[in-house]
Amino acid sequence: MSLHDLYRDYQDQVKFLMIYIREAHPRDGWWLGGGLPGLGLKLSGSKVSTDIYDPKTMDERRDVASQCVTALEYEIPTLVDDIEDSVNQAYAGLPTRLYLVDLDGVVAYAGGLGPYGFKPGELKAAMELLLAVERV
Amino acid sequence: MNQNKKTGDVMIKTLRLMRAYRAWQREYDAKAPREGDLAPDFELFDVNGKNPVRLSDFRGEKPVALIFGSYT
Repeated sequence: MSLHDLYRDYQDQVKFLMIYIREAHPRDGWWLGGGLPGLGLKLSGSKVSTDIYDPKTMDERRDVASQCVTALEYEIPTLVDDIEDSVNQAYAGLPTRLYLVDLDGVVAYAGGLGPYGFKPGELKAAMELLLAVERV
Repeated sequence: MNQNKKTGDVMIKTLRLMRAYRAWQREYDAKAPREGDLAPDFELFDVNGKNPVRLSDFRGEKPVALIFGSYT
């Protein structure tokens, strides 16, 4: 169950927003491109980049976000967090995390910290439940 | 013998790192909104710096799935 599958199946009923936040593993930070982690990423066929420096300006951040959208073939509408990381901080989003917000603006599902807590299947279950409740 | 000591040192370092990571994760997770909390509102722009989107604009319209991530 990928996010792309969820987006295709539920986009008519749920608004999907990808929030591009600061880089989790840039070359000038907690880099995973070398050694065993880098080898593991290459062998896994992952499309994530290991050759990105953490953007320091909004122009740089938008540029990397654009590369990311193209490389990962996102169909999901993507927004770019501000350079102060305001939204990332409000949601503790780094490195990856999922949420579902209901019609009242209340958090209906708060996913775990990625990558281990990143579970699209849980998001799907939460969407199904929420949509069923809203239909009643 | 030396090899055993090196292996032991690596294991101890790894365990310490895992413990530190778990402690950090507990502290970090505590900052994340929980189910039942009002979702913090925001307004952000697309990758071209255009088309502002505000989370609260979807209230009463559609549930919103938020996906946080980056390129690395």
